[in-house]
Amino acid sequence: MASEEAKDYVLPPEVLEETVRASEELWKPVKKVKFRIYKYNPKKDYAPHWEEHELEVSKGMTVLDALLTIKGEMDPTLGVRYSCRMGLCGSCAMMINGKQMLACQTRVLEAAGDGDVVELRPLDNFPVERDLAADFTHFFEKHKSVKPWIIRSDEVELNNPTGPYKQTVDEYARYYQFTDCIKCGACLSACPTAATDYEYLGPQALAQAYRYMVDTRDDGLDVRIAVVDTEHGCWRCHFAASCSDVCPRGVDPAQGIQLLKRLIIKRKFGYKPHKPAEALPAKVKAESKSGG
Amino acid sequence: MEAESGYREYYARNMRGISGWFKVRAYTIERWLYAAHRITGILIVLFILAHFYSTGWHPGLWWDALLGVVVTFHVANGIRLILAELGLAIGKPLLIKKPSQRPVSIEGVQRYLVVFALVLFIVLAAIWAYYALVVQSMMG
Repeated sequence: MASEEAKDYVLPPEVLEETVRASEELWKPVKKVKFRIYKYNPKKDYAPHWEEHELEVSKGMTVLDALLTIKGEMDPTLGVRYSCRMGLCGSCAMMINGKQMLACQTRVLEAAGDGDVVELRPLDNFPVERDLAADFTHFFEKHKSVKPWIIRSDEVELNNPTGPYKQTVDEYARYYQFTDCIKCGACLSACPTAATDYEYLGPQALAQAYRYMVDTRDDGLDVRIAVVDTEHGCWRCHFAASCSDVCPRGVDPAQGIQLLKRLIIKRKFGYKPHKPAEALPAKVKAESKSGG
Repeated sequence: MEAESGYREYYARNMRGISGWFKVRAYTIERWLYAAHRITGILIVLFILAHFYSTGWHPGLWWDALLGVVVTFHVANGIRLILAELGLAIGKPLLIKKPSQRPVSIEGVQRYLVVFALVLFIVLAAIWAYYALVVQSMMG
């Protein structure tokens, strides 16, 4: 019986053959691509220089795959930061042919297009750590400065919760999009304001500020307005929208910043987006427990 | 030695500087409009400063037409920016995203706003140029 059931799950031979063929096709070398890589160690080098490596690439090869091959076989001194290899950690953002992208999510052939050169640089407007790795210290400080956590005035409930805070799906939808941020730094790097203003909070921090300001569980609207409604805050954004264009997670920080501006203007007229949500009463919790 | 450390700091900071305002290749049309808005804004400021210095300076009728192009672009795109920055026409945050979701603030209703701004610019610039080159020359 068990073997009969198992048989049902075996792929028909023609499908299996097609799958194997497609997989082989994906990893078969297609053409030679020249990688132009930025090399610079600020602690040692006087100025950056470029190094070129040629590699046979296949359809499925990502830029990160290529970099690791180059690091393993051609240039062991190459500095590159990566971690998850699947677009979740945001470590490998870099300039690929002049645009901010995740190396792990960009296929080499896609980046090269009709040409056969891929130029790799560290993220613009970020200090260089070494070669392709950028220094994110300032970026994370900006993120921290907008207080990206739930701020409440009811300390007792916060420290000894009696239940989850009440939130409807519509209220959740107001900020869900912005929670997908992986802090890869692509948005700040693409921002033309950040090119001349080092202190500018940047799309990432401002979108996160908005995310917490419209979260119904939060009560820190005025605390955050004091941070973002400043000289280097949201009013330096002029909607070039490149942050949203390059975001690998579809967070759309440009939209967040414009909504943040609207929220601040409304706040000047005394509007508050919500009352801080209350914890669900014990009765509801008991009912939902018995119901489910 | 000082020059060396300055040189090193320049590369280590990796800031694009003013060239970053005009790095439009590979980005969407909004970035082009941003760069053009910057240029026209700077030109208008320079014109006003020159105008304050000498109101009588007038190189020719084409000058009026050129000024019209600069001013009308800044006005038309400015209207688009005011609307977008007030949170209009940039869509709502999404609850459900497609696998490779393109931003709603760029490719949603805002694109119509871009078209509207460009059409408004062309119409205003044409009216201004007609007035500057045809009507003014007829009036002498």
